[in-house]
Amino acid sequence: MLRKGLLGVLAFVVVLLFGVQAAMSDDVIKIGVQAPITGKFASEGQSIDKSVRLIAKQYNEKGGILGKKIEVITCDDEGKAVKAAICARQLVDKGVIAVIGSYTSTCAEAAESIYYKAGVLQTSDGTSDSLVKHGYWTFFRNSSPNSAEAAFTAEFFTKKQHYKRIATISDYSTFSTDLTNAVIKNIKKLGGNIVYSGKITSGSQNFTPILTKIKSFNPDVIYFGGYYTDGGLIRAQMKQLGIKADFVGGDSNDNPEFIKLAGKAAVGAYLVNVPLPEMLPYDTAKEFLKAYKDAYHETPASIWTLFNVDGLRAILYSIEQTKSLDTKKIADYMHNKLKNFPGITGPVEWASNGERIGSAYMAYRIGDDLKYHIVYRH
Amino acid sequence: MDIFLQQLINGLTIGSIYALVALGYTMVYGVLKLINFAHGDLVAFSAYVGLVVMMQLSGAISSSVIIILLTFLVTIVVIAISGVTLERIAYKPLRKAPRLSAVVSALGASLVIENGIMLIWGPRPKIFPADIVPNINWNIGGVYIGLMQLLVLVISFVLMFVLYFFVNKTKLGTAMRASAIDQDAARLMGINVDKIIMTTFIIGSSLGAVGGLFIGMYYRGIYFNMGWIYGLNAFVAAIIGGIGNIPGAMLGGMLLGIFNALISGYLSSSWALALTYVLLIIIMIFRPTGILGERVAEKV
Repeated sequence: MLRKGLLGVLAFVVVLLFGVQAAMSDDVIKIGVQAPITGKFASEGQSIDKSVRLIAKQYNEKGGILGKKIEVITCDDEGKAVKAAICARQLVDKGVIAVIGSYTSTCAEAAESIYYKAGVLQTSDGTSDSLVKHGYWTFFRNSSPNSAEAAFTAEFFTKKQHYKRIATISDYSTFSTDLTNAVIKNIKKLGGNIVYSGKITSGSQNFTPILTKIKSFNPDVIYFGGYYTDGGLIRAQMKQLGIKADFVGGDSNDNPEFIKLAGKAAVGAYLVNVPLPEMLPYDTAKEFLKAYKDAYHETPASIWTLFNVDGLRAILYSIEQTKSLDTKKIADYMHNKLKNFPGITGPVEWASNGERIGSAYMAYRIGDDLKYHIVYRH
Repeated sequence: MDIFLQQLINGLTIGSIYALVALGYTMVYGVLKLINFAHGDLVAFSAYVGLVVMMQLSGAISSSVIIILLTFLVTIVVIAISGVTLERIAYKPLRKAPRLSAVVSALGASLVIENGIMLIWGPRPKIFPADIVPNINWNIGGVYIGLMQLLVLVISFVLMFVLYFFVNKTKLGTAMRASAIDQDAARLMGINVDKIIMTTFIIGSSLGAVGGLFIGMYYRGIYFNMGWIYGLNAFVAAIIGGIGNIPGAMLGGMLLGIFNALISGYLSSSWALALTYVLLIIIMIFRPTGILGERVAEKV
């Protein structure tokens, strides 16, 4: 009994020593990546990991930060909440001061409290609204939450397009109903006029009855908050029925198949989504995409990689500015002093709850060339 | 008024596709007293076969009329063969077995075809080329009708007329009706019932193939499990009209399409589907044999 206890104490001391040594080792700054390297989201997770390593390499070639090299430690959370919590403990034990990840809201949320208790900074692209509701000073969302799309869409409708008569369609899925209802709520808040809102059965393909009905309300726009498989057909059938109203599709209409389904009718349709990497208008974005391509001979998996890169760049910048590795100081700088940091995905700054200010959403118009053209952004 | 006419055309277009598919259900039921649940999936399969054929041909031939004709021809042949094969494998061995076994076998066949399509072509939707049928649209006093819609309507009506003529005026059609009424008596009259059943499957599958091609060419997006939704609607159409009754399937398809369009148009699109089934229940309560009734039901 006594020996066992002694052994335990010994082990504890050893761990403590190593732990402290790891945290205190002054020649490197450890940055963690918690991402789904395997599993369903493997391509996204690997892309995030590659990007973080690329940024670290760029810094190290210039001599690192505060005279220290950056070391990247990756943990694969497989997109599973249980594994995410294990990853969080491992990364904390290895002495990272900041973690990039994870890709999914579920995994980011499962790890949040562990990073918070350890005082480790975390930045994630998770879009779930609840991520910033725990009051953890360590958490920074680098993308826009789900609710931002509805707010942006409503602004686009009322402030840019000045639609007077708005019709909305959703399907019966939770995603589509929630998004469309949120859009309606935001439009009403801004004084917009909803003349019709209806629902379709996803996959039923024949939407002419509801569209004919909508036509009788004489709207100047039809908003569809469902998926591209239905959205493309709705757009095509609108044209076929001679409906002159604009079409605006929510983010799930943003798919190359939308244009294929709608054919020529796709021209003039609007889509609202976060942009594709290659559509980002910022110089920092062009530089990063080029560097990524040179290093890995491919493009990043999606815009979500770039959001995470912005999270990382902002943290590294804040370390440089504060000349400190005290996470509390860094977080304080990020919350209060970091303004308009030139990000890859647009200006970066944070509210005190860790929510990124400003939304990355954009509205595109599909032009005669069947390509996206940005018509509205913040 | 133009809204009403537009809804009527909307309904007729989808209704005639339902009718084509419903004919497959009703003919097989008429002869075998079997609900061929795999029929809807054959329709989906035909859309995929049609797409493959069309893509192959459009590389080789420039005239779109010839491409379309050949696509229809090849697809109909392939689906007719598939229909007969289906009958041989899934239904013929069970012809003497209880009805339930055959129905379960039909459901199994349906799943096999559906998942087969998914394994061959993948779960993502496939899309028909846009420019095969020219995108012409007429505006007649505020009512819009497209070339493809017109083709769907005209070809469906012609096919249904030909079928009606075939069943009622030709020798083979008479033999088919005889087999539907009483297979044993038909056999005693020297009718090869096996051959009649095969013919029924050939015709039913061919009409389904046309329906599937129309879905692909008109709506353009096809996906592996679409056989279920079209099959269900066509099945309901067959029952509304009176399953086993050929004009009944045509009428049922049209009615279903128009009813659906008018409900969406004048009541609520959210309720269209639910109310369609309410209609089905009401018809079943007051006319259990469907609107036009089914001749052979009296036998049972």
